[in-house]
Amino acid sequence: MGSSIVQAIIDGVLTGGVYALMAAGLTLIFGVMDIINVAQGIFVILGAYLSYSLSVHAGIDPFLGLLITIPALFVVGIGVEWGFMRRLKEGDRTAMSILVTYAVSIVIEGVLNISFTVNYVQIHAWYVNRSVHLLGFYLPYIYVFGFVMAAVLLIALYALLYRTRFGASVRASLQDRTAARLVGIDVRRVSTISFGIGVAVTAAGGMVFGATNAFNASTSYDLISRLLAIVILGGLGSMGGALVAAVFMLVLEDVVAVAWSPIWATAVFFAALVVVLSIRPAGLFGRQVARAQ
Amino acid sequence: MHGGISRRKLTAAGLGSLITAGALAGGLVASSAGAADHAVPKAASPITIGVSLSLSGDFSADGQAFQRGYQLWAKDVNRAGGLLGRPVKLDIVSDASSPTQVVTNYQKLISVNHVNLLFGPFSTLLTVPASKIAYRFGYALVEGAGGAPAVFANGLHNVFDVSLPVVDNLVQFAKWIASMPASQRPKTAAYPTSNDPFTEPQIAPAERILQNAGVKTVYSKVFPAEVTDYTPIADAVAASHAQVVVLGSVDVPTVSSFIQAFAQQHFNPKAFIATGGPDQGAAFVKAVGASNTNGVMVPNGWYPGYANASSRKMVSEYVKQYGGTASGINSDVAEAYSVGQVVAQAVTATKSLDNAKLIAYMHGNHTFSSVQGPVKFDKLGENGAAAAFAFQWQNGKFVQVLPAQDSNSVKIQYPKANWGS
Amino acid sequence: MSARRESGGAASPDAPAVPLGGSGRRRAAIGTAWIAFAAALIVFPVVFSNPTVTTIGVFTLVYMTSATAWNGFAGFSGYVPLGHAVFFGVGGYTLALVALHLKMAGGYAMFALVPLGGVAAAVIAVPFGLIALRTRRHTFVVITIAVFFIVQLLAFNLGFTQGSSGVQIPTPLWTAATFNDRFYYAALIVLALAVLVVWGIRRSRFGLQLLAIRDDEDRARGLGVKVQRVKLVGFVLSGVTVGMAGGIYAFFVGQVYPQFAFDPLFDVTVALMAFFGGLGTISGPLLGALLLEPIQQYLTLQYSVGSLYLIIYGALFLVVILAMPRGVIPTAGEYLQMRRARRVERADGRSPAATPSVEVAPLGRASR
Repeated sequence: MGSSIVQAIIDGVLTGGVYALMAAGLTLIFGVMDIINVAQGIFVILGAYLSYSLSVHAGIDPFLGLLITIPALFVVGIGVEWGFMRRLKEGDRTAMSILVTYAVSIVIEGVLNISFTVNYVQIHAWYVNRSVHLLGFYLPYIYVFGFVMAAVLLIALYALLYRTRFGASVRASLQDRTAARLVGIDVRRVSTISFGIGVAVTAAGGMVFGATNAFNASTSYDLISRLLAIVILGGLGSMGGALVAAVFMLVLEDVVAVAWSPIWATAVFFAALVVVLSIRPAGLFGRQVARAQ
Repeated sequence: MHGGISRRKLTAAGLGSLITAGALAGGLVASSAGAADHAVPKAASPITIGVSLSLSGDFSADGQAFQRGYQLWAKDVNRAGGLLGRPVKLDIVSDASSPTQVVTNYQKLISVNHVNLLFGPFSTLLTVPASKIAYRFGYALVEGAGGAPAVFANGLHNVFDVSLPVVDNLVQFAKWIASMPASQRPKTAAYPTSNDPFTEPQIAPAERILQNAGVKTVYSKVFPAEVTDYTPIADAVAASHAQVVVLGSVDVPTVSSFIQAFAQQHFNPKAFIATGGPDQGAAFVKAVGASNTNGVMVPNGWYPGYANASSRKMVSEYVKQYGGTASGINSDVAEAYSVGQVVAQAVTATKSLDNAKLIAYMHGNHTFSSVQGPVKFDKLGENGAAAAFAFQWQNGKFVQVLPAQDSNSVKIQYPKANWGS
Repeated sequence: MSARRESGGAASPDAPAVPLGGSGRRRAAIGTAWIAFAAALIVFPVVFSNPTVTTIGVFTLVYMTSATAWNGFAGFSGYVPLGHAVFFGVGGYTLALVALHLKMAGGYAMFALVPLGGVAAAVIAVPFGLIALRTRRHTFVVITIAVFFIVQLLAFNLGFTQGSSGVQIPTPLWTAATFNDRFYYAALIVLALAVLVVWGIRRSRFGLQLLAIRDDEDRARGLGVKVQRVKLVGFVLSGVTVGMAGGIYAFFVGQVYPQFAFDPLFDVTVALMAFFGGLGTISGPLLGALLLEPIQQYLTLQYSVGSLYLIIYGALFLVVILAMPRGVIPTAGEYLQMRRARRVERADGRSPAATPSVEVAPLGRASR
């Protein structure tokens, strides 16, 4: 039992990294634009399908393929922001964004169903079924690679936000859009690029997800509620929060699944979420000052 | 006070939209009025058969396989001169895997499209509402994928399942394990099961048989149907070192996640059987990877190599029409095809499209033949004659292995080859 | 903001004091329009008696009720819950389980269980509201989603709910031709109730308090509004109504099981309908459901092959949201108001500046 629980913790930490990657984009978009992007789930699947296609049709390794899929999703993100999100009025942006992104996601779902059929697929590579033996535990390569990549990308995102001029504008917009505009920041441009980046990083998360799960377009529905839960638990706009919340969630779920019962694992996670948010409404790492309604 | 006026106008607009909705509904009726013409059957007017299938949503993979099965059957029947000298025409609509839409769809098929006969949708959860509507309108609902006890709990006499009853699914496999000489018989078994009306009822009888044969249960837990991360569950099964794994799965993603985690953990059980997923042909192989399929078993009532003349014919036609190999055919196709065959035989025998007569006939202890073997309905509408088999992937081929004494069974691969070989 | 003026000017000091509802003649006209609308709904199954149409009718009424009730809380308080499927499912499960344990045969008596579904929803809504309403904005949205998943998982896992197979509901043996009509009129009664409740809220002091919370919760508290209590009452009332709608839905479909009694898409759909028609209005959610439910069913039926209907439905939605961001009813209202203003302007030669411009407020503040 003891070693099973350790194994569950290892699993939780490794898969948590992948979820953090999918959630990082969501929290960025959330924070900068006050947008609840429910299309994030389908963007993950879109990223997975792109990696799958490159690997099957062009023989490109999924990790190498990210050099293509990340920019591709960046363009998709920019397109969606430019086409729809920026047309939302300031005041009711949050509520309307749920509707618009939902509509976007069902359009994409329809397109994916037509292009790829509804049969489940999975991304294959030599490392997908292999693992490295370490201290008596098997660590699957795909998760290890995925975790390392997640860490690299999250650090890169962090550097972008805290070490660059662009990052400074993003953070200013995160705190107060109006004030940012007053000091001469092009908030619209910042929003568009942030949305693009937020969608682009899901390409990486989607690739690892697609290599560890068989998927079709409907799989996105299972993802979005988890991703939302993670970013709220972590605190809106907080990258570190997303990482901690993702790892916390997956470890908790995995340990409950092993030590008690899988059917209660998800319920325990959501219950923990409710408890944490009742005590800290802004999440683990969110700024506790409630923004004006 | 502009509000007052606009409010009135808007209420009027609401009224207008009600009328629009009515017109839309009316249009629905009118657009299919053509189908209603054959209330007076002409000699060559087609026999219409209504089906609602999940062409999108959760059950879409199975729904689309079912569609192929139905269409293949219709093509075959028409090539052979149709039914009662009339061609058959399928009227397939989609329910997007939603019971709400199923309710609307079957009413539309019956009361707007005036179909002559009905075929069932995919899976138990949608078959239940469909069967109630069919019952209300006096139609027989013959189906191939609603075999769970819930379907037969309503006491309706109009629903007929041509496939193997779900509860019997794993019995063949369990008996085989139990019959092994004690020295070879595995000592331990794990039963991870998805929370689903298709899987849960079949695991319990299998576990009982194995326990009576002295196979100790080392893992038996139910997991949620919509879990997205199976790794910890699979790892816990691996940690139990069970020699037999009976996985209660409904779809490919579940099986593929377990296999992946087992491979990563270097956990190679002597026997691995999954209740759903490995029977999905090419879709299964694509997801888990060809090298991981070796030795994987699945219980079912049919497989593409089934030694039955009509099955062979169907398989070759399927390959001709859709490409691929025989092993790539989803067993859903056969379940759908069997529905058509049973209905056709009932119609031919009664020389009638009268659903009351068809229902009476199908309850009349007659044996039908289908690509899945003999079909004979008990008083609940379950197929009492269905044969239970177990199949196995062996070096890229999907073969029948149980019952062992059946002349068409090949030697079972036991213990199962390691993952990736 | 004509709407504010209508509400008696309480929330907007700059609006001229006008008696509620305008002049008698106008009020009569509005009344007539509503009566005509109600009459149309009543005769609908008589005129369009085909069971397919009445089936869509029943589902549409269930969604009209749910969207109205959802809006009765969300539209007035500014909180956006995405967990009302909890009430919908609890209403359905209550009906199914009570019928099962009383061994009911499935006649008219079953309809008596519908209010019981509402009561059960209330029992759930109180603790649900107490927890969720301590938070605001995004956190509130996510807490409602989390509670929703917890309840769905309970339905899967608790013994008495019978797990993944769900509960079969006895189906009445009424004749097929008029079978749906009973459900239609039962649903219509619940809808009437929902509209009356929301209308009552809208006209009451309680409704003004909810609106005050929407505009500025902290200020409302400062002005002496007992915000927690007001929000909770609004939440529970809304839940009760959705619970009754869920009872009718379950009885009509004939079974409940976890995924569809507690369907996450239900929440999205209901919110879409309310937003589509116009949040915070009475006619908006009615119109939204009246259009969207039949359209969705129609598209699924007609364009199902190859998922084309998803693309059409999504695209249609995007166009409407972007063209009419505040919903059909408020946007149409503004349009009419602007035309009228222009006419008035032409008639008395006033400068356009004298006509108050239409203010675009968060969450569709127009509250007709």
